[in-house]
Amino acid sequence: MGRVKSKKKVKLSAMSKREEKWALLFVAAPTLGFLLFMAWPIVFAFLTSLTTWNGAKGFEGMLNRFCGFDNYIKLLTDKKFWQTLTTTVIYLIGIPIGMILGLLFAMGMNRKIPGVRVLRTMYYVPVISSLVAVSILWAWVYNYDYGLLNVIIKALTGKHGPNWLGDENLIKVSMIIFMVWKGLGTSIILYLAGLQNIPRSYYEAAMVDGANGWQRFKNITLPLLSPVTFYILITSMIGGFQVFVEVQVMTTNGGIGYSAATIVYYLYEKAFESFQLGYASAIAIILAIIIFVITFINFKMQDKWVKTIE
Amino acid sequence: MKRKLLCILLATVMTASMLCGCGGETAESTSEATEATEATEATEETESIGAQIEVDEEALTDVAVEGDYSDADLTVFIFAQDHEKAVYQSLIDKFMEETGANVTFEVTTSDEYGQKLLAYKAADDMPDIFYVGPEAVASNVDDGYLLPLDDYVDAAVVNNLWGSVGNAYRYDGKTAGTGEGSLYCLPKDFSTFAFAYNKNIFDEAGVAYPDPENPYTWDEFVEVCQKLTKDTDGDGEVDQWGTANALQWALDAFIYTNGGHFLNDDYTEVVIDGQEEFIEAFQFFADLTCKYGVTPTVEQDTALGGYQRWLDGQIGFYACGTWDVGAFMDKNTFPYEWGLCAWPTGKTGVSMTRNGSVGFAVSADSEYPEAAAALITLFSTDLEGQRVLSGETTGASLQIPNIMDYAKGDFKDRIADGTIPYGDNVDVIFNYIEGTDKYQGIFVETTYTYNSDWWNAFLSGGYEYVLNGEMTAAEYCAQVQPAMQEALDAANEMKAAAAN
Repeated sequence: MGRVKSKKKVKLSAMSKREEKWALLFVAAPTLGFLLFMAWPIVFAFLTSLTTWNGAKGFEGMLNRFCGFDNYIKLLTDKKFWQTLTTTVIYLIGIPIGMILGLLFAMGMNRKIPGVRVLRTMYYVPVISSLVAVSILWAWVYNYDYGLLNVIIKALTGKHGPNWLGDENLIKVSMIIFMVWKGLGTSIILYLAGLQNIPRSYYEAAMVDGANGWQRFKNITLPLLSPVTFYILITSMIGGFQVFVEVQVMTTNGGIGYSAATIVYYLYEKAFESFQLGYASAIAIILAIIIFVITFINFKMQDKWVKTIE
Repeated sequence: MKRKLLCILLATVMTASMLCGCGGETAESTSEATEATEATEATEETESIGAQIEVDEEALTDVAVEGDYSDADLTVFIFAQDHEKAVYQSLIDKFMEETGANVTFEVTTSDEYGQKLLAYKAADDMPDIFYVGPEAVASNVDDGYLLPLDDYVDAAVVNNLWGSVGNAYRYDGKTAGTGEGSLYCLPKDFSTFAFAYNKNIFDEAGVAYPDPENPYTWDEFVEVCQKLTKDTDGDGEVDQWGTANALQWALDAFIYTNGGHFLNDDYTEVVIDGQEEFIEAFQFFADLTCKYGVTPTVEQDTALGGYQRWLDGQIGFYACGTWDVGAFMDKNTFPYEWGLCAWPTGKTGVSMTRNGSVGFAVSADSEYPEAAAALITLFSTDLEGQRVLSGETTGASLQIPNIMDYAKGDFKDRIADGTIPYGDNVDVIFNYIEGTDKYQGIFVETTYTYNSDWWNAFLSGGYEYVLNGEMTAAEYCAQVQPAMQEALDAANEMKAAAAN
């Protein structure tokens, strides 16, 4: 605040001016892309959310069906909206689980043990695999009669395993397990990179001071990994609110009593099965606001726990 | 502060859109996978059979098209399997040759069709010819998309269509499907969802085949199913069942035959709560599973669907759509002998099932309505095309011919002489399509409402609890009715908004 602002404009040479123009041109491409492919769709979605548009008669058809904030008011009392929102939030439990497991595996793989590269690759395979393909795969893993899981349970206990995808609560557990498995590779790789960035000298100094393993982990590893944790937290939360494919592929009609359906699944149904584009857009806007608020809070809170080496 | 806020906002949008992008990409490819999990099990298998069918394009040389449409430039947008695409492509080629018109042919999958058509609508750039099902006629007409065909299609052509399918595509501005008002589509096909039985299982159990002339009552049906349900390998677990039908496709066959219905006469109210006929039928459907045990349990059904079990020879009775015949006659797919029979009858004594159809419509904005109408007439009623699709030239029947004369004449003769492989008792199909005193095929109630949301509400309310006996049908109906009513109200509001 106390800085003195220099109002004096530096005169640019002809060449600098020319360079500046070129610079603007380079900036123009992404800006235009942003306006066209992000800003406009957002505005368009918001406008749509104020209508009862069903997709008919183009832009004009949309404007003719203006209904104010009716869609938002209806959303407040829409049981399915709250149900799917709750389910989506429940699925977020997988994020801390995934982060803890990711960190544990990363620390394990940070040692010089034979075959560690093979292990790292194996854990990353789910990340690069098609989500649809692995969802189908896991639907089979969870299969009541023929699934891998129930075959193992039967072999171990002699009893038939539970109906993983056919029970209102178990289906949520199943989805969380699947999502943790799918996201584990990303956390491992990121944490691994984070671990390798921590200078060894910190640990050596701590050891000279007599710190034990837990103290070193708690006071050096964990704080210095906090930027990575922060990054994973933000991206997984945004991704977590947008879960769709898993539900679409692994369940029929969103699971028994709609128990596995997420908010994006509901949005999709409204938009592309009921053709209530206005209502679906209202859900999208609310979802965007939720994601923004949570991300904002995360950013605000980061000063309290995110540490950097500097 | 403001700048920071802006940064966060931008970061959120970008990350979200990045993730969204990934999601979007996979979402499209998901649809195929969904089909495997959803109950359209039936069509899926047909698709793979369809892909093996080779169409003899030479067979389509006698196409009769008249008229000069050399200035016409048409776009056709439909979903089709490979063999259907080949049929329509060759008809288009002939049409272009004979009339001088230019036709652009765009084909997609049935899963993606709805979304792509929506994109056309949103862009206000409709193809000249596209598919519309009976359930979507009213909404499309209200939104001004469909051209009335009355002035463009010969009465002779219309009169030679199956009566009820012609009616399904008429709309008078109030209620669709009653046979009143203008005609808006020519059928691509007219299907019915008949019932079939596995003869081998009957033979082994020493049970007489069902008599198509005398449909079973529900009690008789249960009795037969009980005889067919058994543990064939002696491991203590049942592995062969009387029947196994997914509720979303088969419940109608029980509700309507018992005189039940979901909605009131003007489709404004859901009336299942406390309705004796409906509840009795739904409870009977559930009892087949939870009381009589003649179907796989809910758990077993999630493990392996009825369709796969039927193909595997584990099921005595199973639904058979007209599109399934090709697959069921293919020994690699279904190595058993089978015949057609009636769905069991409830209180009305009439066996009922759902009919279905999809039709060719012409856009109201088409610049060349005459040419477009001539082309859909060719698609719908060209004899050679119908011979291919109904299996006379390919040996795999995927639909009943649209042309009544041909269906009742040559088509049946070719089935009788074995040219068209078909299960026993093809008359069952004709009975459902034409309606008799013992048989009636109907368009289900979703056909007459603006969308199917109320039905989806029924499906997503947890009906599985009724099937496994944790809840009664009456309790479920009372519980789910408000959500269904809400969805129906929303649909009717949309209809009213579109009509204004």
